[in-house]
Amino acid sequence: MASTEDKAANKENVSSWKDSIYNPRTGELLGRTASSWALILLFYLVFYCFLAGMFALTMWVMLLTLDDYVPRYRDRVPEPGLVIRPNSLDITFNKSDSKNYKNYVNHLESFLQRYNDSMQENNEECIPGEYYMQDGGEMTKKVCPFRRTSLSLCSGLSDTDFGYQEGKPCVLLKMNRIIGLKPIGDPYINCTVKKDHPVQMHYFPSEGRIDKMYFPYYGKKAHENYMQPLVAVKLLLTKEDYNKELAVECRVEGTNLRNNDERDKFLGRVTFRVKVVE
Amino acid sequence: MGDKDDRSPKKKKGATKDMDDLKKEVPITEHKMSVEEVCRKFQTDVVQGLTNAKAAEFLLRDGPNALTPPPTTPEWVKFCRQLFGGFSILLWTGAILCFLAYAIQAATEDEPAGDNQALVIREGEKVQINAEEVVAGDLIEVKGGDRIPADIRVTSAHGCKVDNSSLTGESEPQSRSPDCTHDNPLETRNVAFFSTNCVEGTARGIVICTGDRTVMGRIATLTSGLETGKTPIAREIEHFIHIITGVAVFLGVTFFILAIILGYTWLEAVIFLIGIIVANVPEGLLATVTVCLTLTAKRMAKKNCLVKNLEAVETLGSTSTICSDKTGTLTQNRMTVAHMWFDNQIHEADTTEDQSGAAFDKSSVTWLSLSRVAALCNRAQFKAGQDSVSILKRDVAGDASESALLKCIELSCGSVRMMRDKNKKVAEIPFNSTNKYQLSVHETEDPNDNRYLLVMKGAPERILDRCSTIMLQGKEQPMDEEMKEAFQNAYMELGGLGERVLGFCHVLLPEDQYPKGFAFDTDDVNFQTDNLCFVGLISMIDPPRAAVPDAVGKCRSAGIKVIMVTGDHPITAKAIAKGVGIISEGNETVEDIAARLNIPVSQVNPRDAKACVIHGSDLKDLSQDQMDDILRNHTEIVFARTSPQQKLIIVEGCQRLGAIVAVTGDGVNDSPALKKADIGVAMGISGSDVSKQAADMILLDDNFASIVTGVEEGRLIFDNLKKSIAYTLTSNIPEITPFLFFIIVNIPLPLGTITILCIDLGTDMVPAISLAYEAAESDIMKRQPRNPARDKLVNERLISIAYGQIGMIQALGGFFAYFVILAENGFLPSQLVGIRLNWDDRSLNDLEDSYGQQWTYEQRKIVEFTCHTAFFVSIVVVQWADLIICKTRRNSVFQQGMKNKILIFGLFEETALAAFLSYCPGMDVALRMYPLKPTWWFCAFPYSFLIFVYDEARKLILRRNPGGWVEKETYY
Repeated sequence: MASTEDKAANKENVSSWKDSIYNPRTGELLGRTASSWALILLFYLVFYCFLAGMFALTMWVMLLTLDDYVPRYRDRVPEPGLVIRPNSLDITFNKSDSKNYKNYVNHLESFLQRYNDSMQENNEECIPGEYYMQDGGEMTKKVCPFRRTSLSLCSGLSDTDFGYQEGKPCVLLKMNRIIGLKPIGDPYINCTVKKDHPVQMHYFPSEGRIDKMYFPYYGKKAHENYMQPLVAVKLLLTKEDYNKELAVECRVEGTNLRNNDERDKFLGRVTFRVKVVE
Repeated sequence: MGDKDDRSPKKKKGATKDMDDLKKEVPITEHKMSVEEVCRKFQTDVVQGLTNAKAAEFLLRDGPNALTPPPTTPEWVKFCRQLFGGFSILLWTGAILCFLAYAIQAATEDEPAGDNQALVIREGEKVQINAEEVVAGDLIEVKGGDRIPADIRVTSAHGCKVDNSSLTGESEPQSRSPDCTHDNPLETRNVAFFSTNCVEGTARGIVICTGDRTVMGRIATLTSGLETGKTPIAREIEHFIHIITGVAVFLGVTFFILAIILGYTWLEAVIFLIGIIVANVPEGLLATVTVCLTLTAKRMAKKNCLVKNLEAVETLGSTSTICSDKTGTLTQNRMTVAHMWFDNQIHEADTTEDQSGAAFDKSSVTWLSLSRVAALCNRAQFKAGQDSVSILKRDVAGDASESALLKCIELSCGSVRMMRDKNKKVAEIPFNSTNKYQLSVHETEDPNDNRYLLVMKGAPERILDRCSTIMLQGKEQPMDEEMKEAFQNAYMELGGLGERVLGFCHVLLPEDQYPKGFAFDTDDVNFQTDNLCFVGLISMIDPPRAAVPDAVGKCRSAGIKVIMVTGDHPITAKAIAKGVGIISEGNETVEDIAARLNIPVSQVNPRDAKACVIHGSDLKDLSQDQMDDILRNHTEIVFARTSPQQKLIIVEGCQRLGAIVAVTGDGVNDSPALKKADIGVAMGISGSDVSKQAADMILLDDNFASIVTGVEEGRLIFDNLKKSIAYTLTSNIPEITPFLFFIIVNIPLPLGTITILCIDLGTDMVPAISLAYEAAESDIMKRQPRNPARDKLVNERLISIAYGQIGMIQALGGFFAYFVILAENGFLPSQLVGIRLNWDDRSLNDLEDSYGQQWTYEQRKIVEFTCHTAFFVSIVVVQWADLIICKTRRNSVFQQGMKNKILIFGLFEETALAAFLSYCPGMDVALRMYPLKPTWWFCAFPYSFLIFVYDEARKLILRRNPGGWVEKETYY
């Protein structure tokens, strides 16, 4: 298509082609003399500089009106999405080949670095089961600790392979951070496997609870070291589950948060596939 | 559906299966039956099993015992996604618009049709047959009112006259007789031509040519065989498309190379290339142009210019030369009494169509006598039932000059019929070409006066020969040499005006020789036909239409050269040319100069004469160079006695000199020229079907003045199309830059395909069309016609303004709105650069914004689509300013005013449409457009204001410095 149009465009100019590129008599290049070119280019240079200046000015004014801590509108993210780690919706590995699942393990390990106890010495303990409200007062908000140890078997401390070696992989779940979000009720994660007979699962912390003390979130600038609460699910797969693709769906339950939006499949829920090859 | 059926029959089976049925519980009942019952049901046997035949039958009935494979996306759906996905939808919409444009065009065209009968004599019997079945050699009879069915050689005729005006342009009916009178077949009396009309009398003749071989057929074949070039507007649009294509390909290739450098894969780069080229196509523009032309065509139709070919609307505006036929176009195509000579004085009659001209002294006794002669010695009469119609418009049975006399007398002296009733006709000798006179004998009005009145009219010199006295101031005086001299001078003068002169005389026959009841023998004349009393001369002409001189003047001031091309005689042509201003006052022809200086024509320098009258026979001998020379050096030209082929040559000559030529004409003889011309203008009332078919435009009222309207409308639409295109093209830049930035700096796409379409085919449409209603900025009839080589519809200056300047401001306005929305939702501009890959990753559902919030794919897509909507709304906002600045090319908006109501409507319409698309519930699903917060509407306001101020400043400098740099670089 491009080539035919190109030809059509050229055809018209064929007659005056040579002259229109460079006319030796008048010294015109592409129909303009050097000074004419200089003038028009100068005009466009000045014009575009002015436009760039105007754009920069309006952008600057706009940025001045913004708050550093909270975005002006938050109505486009009213509800949190649910995300898993390792960051893949298709977890397939050979349990007997460590190279095969190394990526997942490394990913989880690096993700959990922030949750090391050593990183959280500055954080004060909060009252479990209550929102940690810090309105007013200092702009920098305090952070409730979330310790890696609370993930127990899935913390990667006792079992550095996160159960991938034994074919009972751990999957971490986290709710997206949303400024000012205070879920009503007691949020917990519940996972199901679409399969004839249920697969045993182990949740850490127990029952997959997400404590309310981690809410609300005050934003990146105020809540710099905010620890996002995690829930780990250990899929206790048995021999007969191997070599099959299992669809696992996890939802946030027990709250007013949406987990059944028709269009957004990741709002308060997440579906991923697990396949363990023996 | 057909494809689907053919390619995957299994799929159909699944589709037709009742889903509700499947949703019910398992319908198995066999478990409750006994084994025997089950065997019966399946016609099987517990021991033997099924027979082979049954098994085969059941296999055929139920299909194989395998699960239906799960529905996968069929290949054709995948193909369709490619076919209609992304920017391809822009192309498809363009294709659909082509159908629409064609439908509009097809609906505005209509063709006339006709059908005919002929009376032939075959095997001695007269038969009425279809004219199409006439063959060469047929003996044919025609009578007054018939259309001649083929070229015929007349064998016998009785007062037969044919109207050759459509073929030769002669206004007067020509008599036909069996004698050969001229070498030229077109001039000789014994041939009547196909499709001319027999006006009166009867004739018989042998068909010599039929169909395409007839003179008329040859002209028609010549006409249809002519290659007509593209209309000027078509050439302009083609040029415009070349420019747009050039820009699109240039941009596409640039970004293709850039994409490769930036590390995109080949396939992605090619998709970008196609996307950019397609996005550059202004989808709505050609439809807008069509609609603008249609609107103008409608407006012109209201002013009696019917446009057959839509593109011809503009052609009149570009016209630099008009070749006009005389008869019926410049003139009324109706003989009218123009002058009278009596009492040794020339009197001027009123020739205007509405009788608004000056009247002459009607009190003279001579005039009474003259009018009596003219009324009595006249066989014409009004057709019945026309008492309510004004005299000039009544239909008359009779020959053209007699009806002219009839109307003139009826107008000045009252009812001619009463006069004829009072003076009963006793005898009559009709006009014939040997006598060249017509006479009749009447009783007198006075019942006591038993004398007879003999009245005679005819060729003046013949009449004069028969007269011995002349009537002056009502008294008979002997005809002396002095009076003869006066007569000659008057005759010469009237003849020199191109008028047809008739002489009138009468005598009261002495009672003693011709007592009451005398038997006048008209075959063997037994009464006095000389020593008559000369009464006067009456001259007639086909007078120019009232509006023509004014129209010719307007064409002149609009820089349009008006050339007369006629089949009529040079003297008549010249007289009419002078009358309508084609030869303006004070301009002389070579012959005039020669006559004034009393030197031979050959000694006059042709350059001294601005005007010239060229005879068809001279034209034949001219070389192409001489022809060019004449057309170039004379401003006022009249071609007389031209054949259809010569008319064509004249048109071609003008076109060779670079002129855009309009030809007006009504006859078949004009049709080759009509077809060859850039725009052919035919006459709606008097025009022949052939000429109407060859023409691009039809003047419904036959009025040359309508052409001026056409020129004005054509020039206006050309100017307004420029504005419309400038307006539409401008929004191309804010439509294409988002995609470019999407590629280069990897930001989320700021404007999607759907929204681009909403602009091109939605909000931009009505405003662009409304510019067609814009009033002219200056007196467009005072400037020269555009030079097609230089003054283009779309030139680089228009592109520079639209793309380089206004478009850029608009794009910034859109981008500003985009950045505002993303920033206010948490994504600051600094974070956006390079975010694209993550942004468009469906599996990434915790994308972090500048405030630490995390977004799912759907959530951020909603923000992105809100940005599309805001970008779209911003384009609408900046297009307000663009529309207002596009109203004028030179004047300030404050000078031009906001009188264009359609334009104001357009402003409101596009805003309402934008609001509707943004706020209407369900749009988020249908078009993925989301409601905007009120403040986001104002993001582009500073840019809209900037556009207005910038362009007003530009136009101010442009007006202050005519011919300056700003005009050279930015006046489009």
